Amino acid sequence: MAGHEDFIEAENAEAIITRIEHKSRKIESLLKQYKPVEALKTALEGSSAITKDDRCKSANWIAVHRAIMAIKDVDGMLASLDSEYYDILMKYLYRGLSTGDRPTCEQCLRIHEKLTQRAGLGCILRCLADTQNTV
Amino acid sequence: MTAVSVHKFAQCITSHAWSPDNSMIAVCPNTEEVHIYQSSEDKWEKIHVLQKHDQVVCGIDWSSKMNKIVTVSHDRNSYVWNQEGGEWVATLVILRLNRAALCVQWSPKENKFAVGSGAKTVCICYYEQENNWWVSKLIRKKHNSSVTSVAWHPNNILLATTSTDGKCRVFSTFIKGVDTRDSEAGSASDTKFGEQIIQLDLSYSWAFGVKWSPSGNTLAYVGHNSMIYFVDDVGPSPLAQSVAFRDLPLRDVFFVSEKMVIGVGFDCNPMVFAADESGLWSFIRFLGQKQTAPTSARAGSQISGAFGKLYGQSKYNNASDNGNDSHSSGRAHENCITCIVPLKKGRDSKVTHFSTSGLDGKVVIWDLGSQDIADYL
Repeated sequence: MAGHEDFIEAENAEAIITRIEHKSRKIESLLKQYKPVEALKTALEGSSAITKDDRCKSANWIAVHRAIMAIKDVDGMLASLDSEYYDILMKYLYRGLSTGDRPTCEQCLRIHEKLTQRAGLGCILRCLADTQNTV
Repeated sequence: MTAVSVHKFAQCITSHAWSPDNSMIAVCPNTEEVHIYQSSEDKWEKIHVLQKHDQVVCGIDWSSKMNKIVTVSHDRNSYVWNQEGGEWVATLVILRLNRAALCVQWSPKENKFAVGSGAKTVCICYYEQENNWWVSKLIRKKHNSSVTSVAWHPNNILLATTSTDGKCRVFSTFIKGVDTRDSEAGSASDTKFGEQIIQLDLSYSWAFGVKWSPSGNTLAYVGHNSMIYFVDDVGPSPLAQSVAFRDLPLRDVFFVSEKMVIGVGFDCNPMVFAADESGLWSFIRFLGQKQTAPTSARAGSQISGAFGKLYGQSKYNNASDNGNDSHSSGRAHENCITCIVPLKKGRDSKVTHFSTSGLDGKVVIWDLGSQDIADYL
C-alpha cells in the first residue's frame, strides 16, 4: 500500500516539476519586462500546494529566490502585493535566511523588516508554527 | 474607556472565578492555595484561604446554582469545596491521573464537571449519592497530547476539548443514571460515554481555549499560530472558518453573543471578533485603550546616555510607524492574559461585563455596554 502511494507521489512530482519549469520561464519573461512584483506573485502562486517531495521544494525555491532577488523597491512591492501572499512570502524569507548566503540573507532581512511592519508578528508565528507545510 | 476596575491580587494568577452573586472572587495566585476576596466599599478583603492542594492550583470554577467551587492542581487531584457554616469544606475527588490536571469546568446543569490533564486524558466527574463520593470516569486514548481546555455544550452532554496536539475534539459524556435520554438534548443523548463526535484538524500547532456560543451552534478555539477557528454545525458536516490576525497568539476565548467573541492572550489586550450578516468572522479591534506616542518618548528619556537616546528613539519610531500598536503603556494588563470569565448575568440575558486575569497578577473587569461594538451584542 505504501509503495503504491510512493508511486503516486513520484508521478505527482514529475507533474509539479514540469509546472515549476513553466512558471520559471514566465518569471524570466516578466523580469525582462521589468515587472518584478508580477514575477514574485507568479513565483508564490501555487507554491503552497502541499508536497513532501524535496526536489519539488528546491525547484520552487529556485524560482521564488530568483523573483525575491530581483526586488529593488521593497515598500512598493509590498504595497502592491495582496495580503494573502504575506504568510507564504514570510516562509520563503526564512528559507532564504537559512541558506546562509550573504546577498540572499541581506535581501531577505530587508524584506523581512518591512513585511513584519505590515503583516505583524502573527505572520511570523504562523510561519514558525507550521511544521507540516514547509517550503 | 472599558476597563471598569483593575486590581492586582498577586504576582501571577493562573485562574479565577466569581461567586454566583459576583460579590466574591476566588483567585489562584500561582501557589497551592486559593484566595477568596470579598468586595467592600471599593476595597477587596481576603476572607478565606483554601488550603488542601500540594502543588500549584491551575484551574477553578464556581457553580452558580449549587455555590460549589471545584479546583484542580498539578498534584493530580481535584477538590470540591462546599460552604458549611461559614467555612469551606473540601471533598477530595480522585481523578486517577498520572500527570497534572490542567483545567476544569462545571457542566451547565452542575451535576458533572470535566477536567483536562497532561495525561492525554479527560475526566468526567459526577456525584454518587449512595456512596457520598465523587466518581471520575476517564476518556482515554483519544488525545495525543495534553488537554489544555474543556468546554461544555449547553445540552450538558457534549464536551469540546483542545489539546497541544493541535486538535479540537467533541465528545459525548452521557452517563447512565446522571443524564436522562430525553428529546431536550436532541440526538446527542443517543451517544454513549466517550464517543468522539468530531475531530477538527484545522491547526498545525498547539490549540488553547475552546468555547461554545450561548446556543451551542458555534464553536470557537484558538491556535498558537495567531489563528482563531470558528466551527458551525458541529456534526458530520461542519463548516469551519480560520481567521488569521496580525498580532501575538491567543490563550482563551469567550462568546459575548452568537455574533461576537472576545479573545485574550499574549498580546495583553483583549481582541474583539465579530460575524457579519453572512456569518463571516473577522477581527474588529482591540478592546483596551490606545495611548499616543508621547508616553513612549518619556519612557525612553528615563534611561540615560546614548543607549537611552537610541532606545527612546526606536520606541518612538515604532509607535508612530504602527498606528495599530497595542504595546503601549496605559493598557490594563502588562503580561499575557490566560483567563477570561463572564460576570454572571442577572435577569438580562446579555453579558456586558467580564473579567480577565493573567501572568501580571491583575484581575481586570471590562464593560462592553458603553462600546461602539455594542451593535454586535
